[in-house]
Amino acid sequence: MTTQTPPKPAAYRSALTRGGDGFVRLLHAEWTKLRTVRRWTIVMLSAVAVTILVSTLSAGGDSVSGGGGGAPPRGPDGTRVVDAFQFVGQPLAGDGTVTARVTGLTRDTAEEDDRSMALGGGKPAPWAKAGIIVKASTTPGSTYAAMMLTQSHGVRFQTDFTVDRAGSSAPPSSPRWLRLTRAGNVVTGYESADGVVWDKVGSATLEGLPASAEVGLFVTSPGLFAVERQFGSTSVEGGPSSATGTFDGFSVDGRTEGPVRGVDVGAPPRGPRVPGAPDRPDGPAGEGPGPDGPGNNTASESGGVHTLTASGDIAPMESETDLAQRSLEGAMIGLIPLAALGVLFITAEYRKGMILTTFTASPRRGRVLAAKALVLGTAAFAVGLVASVASFLIGQPLLRSSGLRPPQFPEPSLGDGRVFAAVVGTAGVLALVAVFAMALGALLRNTAAAVSVIIVLLVLPQILLSGLPLDAARFIMQATPVAGFAVQRTTDDFGQVDSACIPEDGCYPQAPWAGFGVLLLYTLAALALAAWRIRRRAA
Amino acid sequence: MDATIEVSDLRKRFGPAVAVDGLSFTARPGQVTGFVGPNGAGKSTTMRMILGLDAPDGGQALIGGLPYRAIRTPLYEVGALLDAAAVHPSRRGRDHLLWLAHSHGVPTRRVDDLLEQVGLASAARRRAGGYSLGMRQRLGIAAALLGDPPVLLLDEPVNGLDPEGIRWIRGFLRSLAAEGRTVLISSHLMSELEDSADHLVVVGRGRLIADTSVAELLAAASGDRVALRTGARTQAMGVLTDAGGTVAATGRDTLTITGLPAERIVALLGEHGVPFSEVAAHRASLEEAYMELTRDSAEFRATSNGDGDARMNGASGADTGEGR
Repeated sequence: MTTQTPPKPAAYRSALTRGGDGFVRLLHAEWTKLRTVRRWTIVMLSAVAVTILVSTLSAGGDSVSGGGGGAPPRGPDGTRVVDAFQFVGQPLAGDGTVTARVTGLTRDTAEEDDRSMALGGGKPAPWAKAGIIVKASTTPGSTYAAMMLTQSHGVRFQTDFTVDRAGSSAPPSSPRWLRLTRAGNVVTGYESADGVVWDKVGSATLEGLPASAEVGLFVTSPGLFAVERQFGSTSVEGGPSSATGTFDGFSVDGRTEGPVRGVDVGAPPRGPRVPGAPDRPDGPAGEGPGPDGPGNNTASESGGVHTLTASGDIAPMESETDLAQRSLEGAMIGLIPLAALGVLFITAEYRKGMILTTFTASPRRGRVLAAKALVLGTAAFAVGLVASVASFLIGQPLLRSSGLRPPQFPEPSLGDGRVFAAVVGTAGVLALVAVFAMALGALLRNTAAAVSVIIVLLVLPQILLSGLPLDAARFIMQATPVAGFAVQRTTDDFGQVDSACIPEDGCYPQAPWAGFGVLLLYTLAALALAAWRIRRRAA
Repeated sequence: MDATIEVSDLRKRFGPAVAVDGLSFTARPGQVTGFVGPNGAGKSTTMRMILGLDAPDGGQALIGGLPYRAIRTPLYEVGALLDAAAVHPSRRGRDHLLWLAHSHGVPTRRVDDLLEQVGLASAARRRAGGYSLGMRQRLGIAAALLGDPPVLLLDEPVNGLDPEGIRWIRGFLRSLAAEGRTVLISSHLMSELEDSADHLVVVGRGRLIADTSVAELLAAASGDRVALRTGARTQAMGVLTDAGGTVAATGRDTLTITGLPAERIVALLGEHGVPFSEVAAHRASLEEAYMELTRDSAEFRATSNGDGDARMNGASGADTGEGR
């Protein structure tokens, strides 16, 4: 053994069959890394457990009395709607035109108490409206098209509750001519400043419009609310508002059937108004008309001038309580173990120097990072999906038993596209958070530092939300990675309906996928930065 | 692929500290090349640059004519052991090899074969955190051999091995080289390489001190010195000095003579009737030769810098250079 063999020039030839170094192999290697540390498997299981536990506690923690109740009316497409207004008009057989000039829209405070009057500074609600309407019948929820002048949103052409098209931005102080023309099932809306030159605002095809439809004037005014925040407490003051609209020049061109008469359309939804969080005893008012809504709606005519006073709205009903979202809240805490796993997945390699072995075996470091991100993201998504589906399935019965029952609160089902998107999106958020955490770990190369940054970015905002001023809280919910949780929203946020949108109630200012996109951008940016750094710096 | 490691004029500094300073050497197939130098000499930094982990400030390191990062399937071309402790403590030894094998599609069977070969089969399913340093070295060597590569770079592979392990690795490295592989192993102890290396690259403070075969190095270090043991020291010194030798007293009854071959000394002493009990041509150990070399290098550096303070600075700079 101690004798020295002379050097042999013959080069070594391996008998080993060679595999390639494809990206799939890299994925296989990273997956083997992930699954062979038992502690990491435990972390993933704990993420599932924490998510389900917190979701369950949050879903079971509320109790709402008087759930159930009467069903709200539904629009032609099945949307739950509010359809309450003062109507003055008559049936019109077949095609025809209805024209009127809105000469004023004011707040009617005669019937309001002091508290309500304080809201909105004595002005009508921003979405208080006065205008003309073509509607199948005076039954709430029936199909319609309307031209209207609003308090703060100018002239609008609205149809079937969900469609809202803007016309000019005329203020209600300047009189405005409005016109609706029916030709078959097509209703077209026009506006004019002088009654001579008309601008088309929009047109719509109303499938269910009968041969004889109601045409005429309408006024309605949704509820007002004000959100006040002091550190640690939020109070939402809400109440119905009433508006008075005045019209002249009302004419119907066509074959009318019967005289002009006033109809107080729409009883308000019975039962409680849409509640906010039960920890606010004087909870916010819903969007529906107040308890003193119908009955106070009046109409009068004198010398061709019609005066209508009403409270209510013609709009989709927005629910502040998103049952699907409520049952998925645990993901906000469940993200912590997954984020820690994401950080560890890379910092553990740096801590022991194993990254040298990794980069020696795969010198193209960007590919290593991509493989790591993909493997971790997929694993976290699978874990997140188990957690979110389980949370949803366990949480829904709990929410129902605590009083959030149909028909007042319709039961969400996984078969509903948006509920499905919320449940799957929650898993997506957890996957992105894990990858984001990994990218931070690659940037900082330090477990404690990276986990701290994650906590500051994703957990701290949730705690601080209720204490921050409303604008700051909304900014956080749109501009930080927390925005991703907007994907859990399943309720619509219609532009033509004002809502209190309290951050700590889970109201995200962004559309679900926009919020998800914000988180995605953060993750991609962090990954790009990490890839740049990992290539540039010595391992 | 030609499995030669070629380092030419490699340079690297970390801030003010020069870690590698114009280093050039070649490690050839069929040989165990020992890469030796004191701690802080820049050995690890050089190896990291050969493996593409650090970018050199100047010069280049090629394996088979390619920079490491240009090799598409490195596991099949180059096996490396940089730091035996670089394993996740919670991962089982076999799993550590498995993920590495999966990155290149190396069959699982080879993983088990190697575990057998390095003597870790019985501990394969235990967590690497519970391994001794020697077991981790064996795991690291198995990892380096996964792709059955023609080139091996092992940084301090003997570190932490028990005597049985040291014997094992010496034979193992020799057999790997005998198969025609290029084996580059670093060590800060020449004695670790004495029985395994064919060729030596000696570095100090990032510079090449010697690039030579083990035999040449020993011959050079031994010089033409002869050790003499005699009871008549003074008499012997007189005779040998007169004959033109340089004589130094190294003990009460021992002398070291240079400038005279051993046969001449024996003849001279017999001629003058000087009694002696032993004459031996002095053979330096590799360790001695190495000490001599690195000492020279230090002195050379000191004089070139002009004064003693510079030497101190140079020494501390080289020490920090080893860290990253």
